[in-house]
Amino acid sequence: MKRTVAEINQKIKDGDVVVMTAEEVIPFVQSEGLERAAKEVDVVTTGTFGAMCSSGAFLNFGHSEPPIRMQKVTLNDVPAYSGIAAVDAYIGATELKEDDHAEYGGAHVIEDLISGRPVRLKARSSGSDCYPRKDIDTYVSLNSINQAYLFNPRNGYQNYGAGTNSSERTLFTYMGKLLPNYGNITYSSAGQLSPLLNDPTLRTVGIGTRIFLGGGTGYVAWEGTQFKTNVETQSDVPMGGARTLATIGDLRGMSSDFIRALRFPGYGVSLAVGVGLPIPILDENVLKATTISDDQIFAPIIDYSVQSRNRKPIKHASYAELRSGKIELFGKEIRTSSLSSYLKAKQIAETLAQRIENGEFTLTEPVAPLPRERGMGTLEVRSKEEAI
Amino acid sequence: MARKKFMLGFSPELVNEPLVYRLVRDYDLKINILRAEVKEMGGRLLMEVEGKTPNIKDAVRFLNESKVDVKELVNYVEKNEERCTHCGMCISICPVEALTVDRITWKVHYDADKCIACGMCIDACPPGAMTFRI
Repeated sequence: MKRTVAEINQKIKDGDVVVMTAEEVIPFVQSEGLERAAKEVDVVTTGTFGAMCSSGAFLNFGHSEPPIRMQKVTLNDVPAYSGIAAVDAYIGATELKEDDHAEYGGAHVIEDLISGRPVRLKARSSGSDCYPRKDIDTYVSLNSINQAYLFNPRNGYQNYGAGTNSSERTLFTYMGKLLPNYGNITYSSAGQLSPLLNDPTLRTVGIGTRIFLGGGTGYVAWEGTQFKTNVETQSDVPMGGARTLATIGDLRGMSSDFIRALRFPGYGVSLAVGVGLPIPILDENVLKATTISDDQIFAPIIDYSVQSRNRKPIKHASYAELRSGKIELFGKEIRTSSLSSYLKAKQIAETLAQRIENGEFTLTEPVAPLPRERGMGTLEVRSKEEAI
Repeated sequence: MARKKFMLGFSPELVNEPLVYRLVRDYDLKINILRAEVKEMGGRLLMEVEGKTPNIKDAVRFLNESKVDVKELVNYVEKNEERCTHCGMCISICPVEALTVDRITWKVHYDADKCIACGMCIDACPPGAMTFRI
């Protein structure tokens, strides 16, 4: 069986496309068999909703009278990067409000903008002949801003390590609150619903792929930062963090249901981003990959009290075990928590399926592929000569 | 029989009074101490009380007369449903399983009756959906 993206889009147009979520497709293929199911199903939708620190938004505020070349910009007292053109800025999700105890940051500014709330913009400048103004203090909103788009350097991690804590004090991490003496385990992947776990070698996704992003429509812009392919696999999927996506999409059209500011006391703030990837069922192999289930996907359990990048996993656990609420470690039952919302992941996969069925969302062929092979380097303290 | 939860606040001079003993002996109450602390400003005691409704009423009057600050705890930790993303981070943090996830719908449920107001879920909740009311 072979099928093209163009054929699928024609079926979307004709209103007879068959779409299933990555959860629904598992029992369907089991009962119908791969061959018959592949003839039936055109698209499988995926979803994930988790903390994705490497996120942020580009904004263009428009020019004031007289104009200013903004050099120091804050939005609700959260610094934004403005070392680009006069009234462009990038607000990073993890940037903290000045003098705040990690309760409000760039992620909150982004959520405020999406929710239509006014945001206080303050900017300073040294002034120049072409941009004489030296400071401005005003309010902006999604309505007043010219451009506002998320550009997230790293989203949708293909699998991720679970966290625990062997030490005698509570740890406050981006994996949440980790209780002492292996008091709990936290994990953060939608497992069987997760976008890149359903197309593990990225056969159908590449640069330019249209996706569900934050409730609106977005695109895959590039390989995500820390993209790597040399990760051990089991059931053909990586057993730890592997491929990632850089994503882009207009803030207009997004919703705070699928973009949510998060705060982790003792760590900082982050942004929960909803990402959904449609997978065109081009052949049986593509379909087979989407039938992966939680019991076949494994995450390494990492001890976050070891403050080193070389942490060795304590063991690997399947998402079926992680999602069951308890895991056995050293003969003791340890409770588990998810940091990403499986409920939202399901809603995203279902919403995307609906949009495709309604003809509101068509599929794309990648403009260019993402790397087939890629390693991930480390940062060493080195001399100028060694750096070359 | 009724079952209620109370937060008692003591001034430093009351810290040495055997008040719980009086509640058991004089008012025939079954008491489960959920949390107790003594600090510079006095003490706080969080307890669950089981007994006859008139006895609980009389016990509260006795405590008030003894200058103990008595607050009945009803919905003292609140879950903001709009804010909650149902991630489930709180599930492994809550010591009494007042927060649970339904493994069919994947919704996180909060049972205020089970809550002992320890507050551990409050800073553990990434979107900030859990708040204290006391």
